[in-house]
Amino acid sequence: MYNEVSIFVENRPGQLSKISELLGNAGIDILAIDVADEGQFGIIKILTAEPDKAKDVLSAANMAVAFNKVACIDLEDRPGGLVKLTKALESAKLNITDAYGCILERGKRAVFVVKGDNLDAIEAAAAKAGLRVLEGLE
Amino acid sequence: MNELADRIGARFERMSQDELAGFQSKALTRTVAQAAKSPYYSAKFKEMGIEPTDIRSREDVSKLPFTTKNDLRLSYPAKMLTVDPKDVIRMHTSSGTTGKPVAIFYTREDIDCWAEFMSRSLAMAGATEKDVFQNMTGYGLFTGGLGLHFGAERLGMWVIPAGGGNTARQIMLIRDFHVTVIHATPSYAMHVAERMLQEGDDPKSLGIRIAVLGAEPYTEEMRLKLQDLYGFKAFNSYGLTEMNGPGVAFECSYQNGMHIWEDGYLAEIVNPETLQPVKDGEVGELVLTTLRRTAMPLIRYRTRDLTRVIKGSCACGRSHMRLSRMIGRSDDMLIIRGVNVFPSQIEEVIMRHKWLGGNYIIQLTTAKALDQMTVKVELAKDIFDGSMEALKKFRAELQRQLKEQVGFTVNVEMAEPGSLPVSEGKAKRVIDEREG
Repeated sequence: MYNEVSIFVENRPGQLSKISELLGNAGIDILAIDVADEGQFGIIKILTAEPDKAKDVLSAANMAVAFNKVACIDLEDRPGGLVKLTKALESAKLNITDAYGCILERGKRAVFVVKGDNLDAIEAAAAKAGLRVLEGLE
Repeated sequence: MNELADRIGARFERMSQDELAGFQSKALTRTVAQAAKSPYYSAKFKEMGIEPTDIRSREDVSKLPFTTKNDLRLSYPAKMLTVDPKDVIRMHTSSGTTGKPVAIFYTREDIDCWAEFMSRSLAMAGATEKDVFQNMTGYGLFTGGLGLHFGAERLGMWVIPAGGGNTARQIMLIRDFHVTVIHATPSYAMHVAERMLQEGDDPKSLGIRIAVLGAEPYTEEMRLKLQDLYGFKAFNSYGLTEMNGPGVAFECSYQNGMHIWEDGYLAEIVNPETLQPVKDGEVGELVLTTLRRTAMPLIRYRTRDLTRVIKGSCACGRSHMRLSRMIGRSDDMLIIRGVNVFPSQIEEVIMRHKWLGGNYIIQLTTAKALDQMTVKVELAKDIFDGSMEALKKFRAELQRQLKEQVGFTVNVEMAEPGSLPVSEGKAKRVIDEREG
């Protein structure tokens, strides 16, 4: 299981700049970013190799920051690379509530980030299908 | 009740109701005679056909004219002064936001008397000469600073006149000098606590025993929250520049209403529309007459503060009447879609929610020819768990409670932690941008 960093923000221009500047100055690389919007406010979710450091940096800037548990599955970056995982989840009858992906090495490795009600089972199903479940993103 | 409080207040605080009535009647007679020496009241009495000698008992107060803030403004700079200017040793002004301020003058006797009320107030809360007192509000024309300062010195406390602001230094002084009693605005006390928590520090570690909170309205929930954060007992204090400053009414250790110093102030509670006395225990506007002031006596001053008398005698044994915490200002009242709303009602709801910080803003706008109320609240930093569902649930619950409180739908906006303004003086919470 892995920690995705989520940040509460009011919905107004400049919020992403503020966050990317804070993380950039701290030397933290953003691998993937996702924005959930509720109109007046939103939650920005960030995937990084250094979630603890990112949380500390943002929290020190007085932002409301939390970790969300996610499963990170290592995939081959090629057409159809996702199918192995989705088939495994389908046959185990596992539902996912949110997902996104990002490329770690173009044409070679990608990571698929999954949220669901039963993360342990999702990770187990991925492992059973011969996929690598990541505990770190270095 | 501690021995010191008993000693310094003994002369007045345990008078029987008859003794008190006798004292007030004599003091009122004297006050009216003194007031007649000012250009303002001599003209006013003449205009109303009042002879100062007609006022013989406290019941006669009803024959006297009311005095309003506007009367004080029109009397600026010194039309209400009753003594030779050489006998004045200090003045203060109220924080007038528009136009001329209100100026209040004090003889040496007046300053002494004010310090006595203030020291009695502090002693009543349990402070003694062994306490170290940090005064965390501004000094200067604002009466809160010097008022508490003189009262604390009179009591014999070790006084640190820190003044307002500079939070890091405030915390350092409290720690290094083992401060046990503080005076601050509630919003500033909240700000200091939040700052400490942010830095991983526990406000309880300061060891503060007693807090005097005042100079701005705040709710019981806010007091409980501050008591919980610091582990101190927070005492409500009531005062206003026109009545010297702080030390008009104060809570005793039972914290159930504020004893108004009836040897210093004659209190009436009236309906703000009809100006007739309300029934005992009903909410109305507090009207005060100074009983022990020489340089500038004020008669039937309309404070605009809404309160009620708490019936029954207090377990502390003092005979002076108790007032409830101020419920609002008769002129802070907002009329929204024809409904009377006090900002304090909104605050009360907000303070119920642990997931919110203490600050908020009420914004009024017009949409489709209808008044709209938006309440901006601050998410508490540590409560966020990354879940959108939890935030939506919080908001829906707050919205439901606000609607229940005011009777119409209120928009709720969620702001980031620490993003709403904290005022170190009177917190400005209402932004009215309505058309027309």
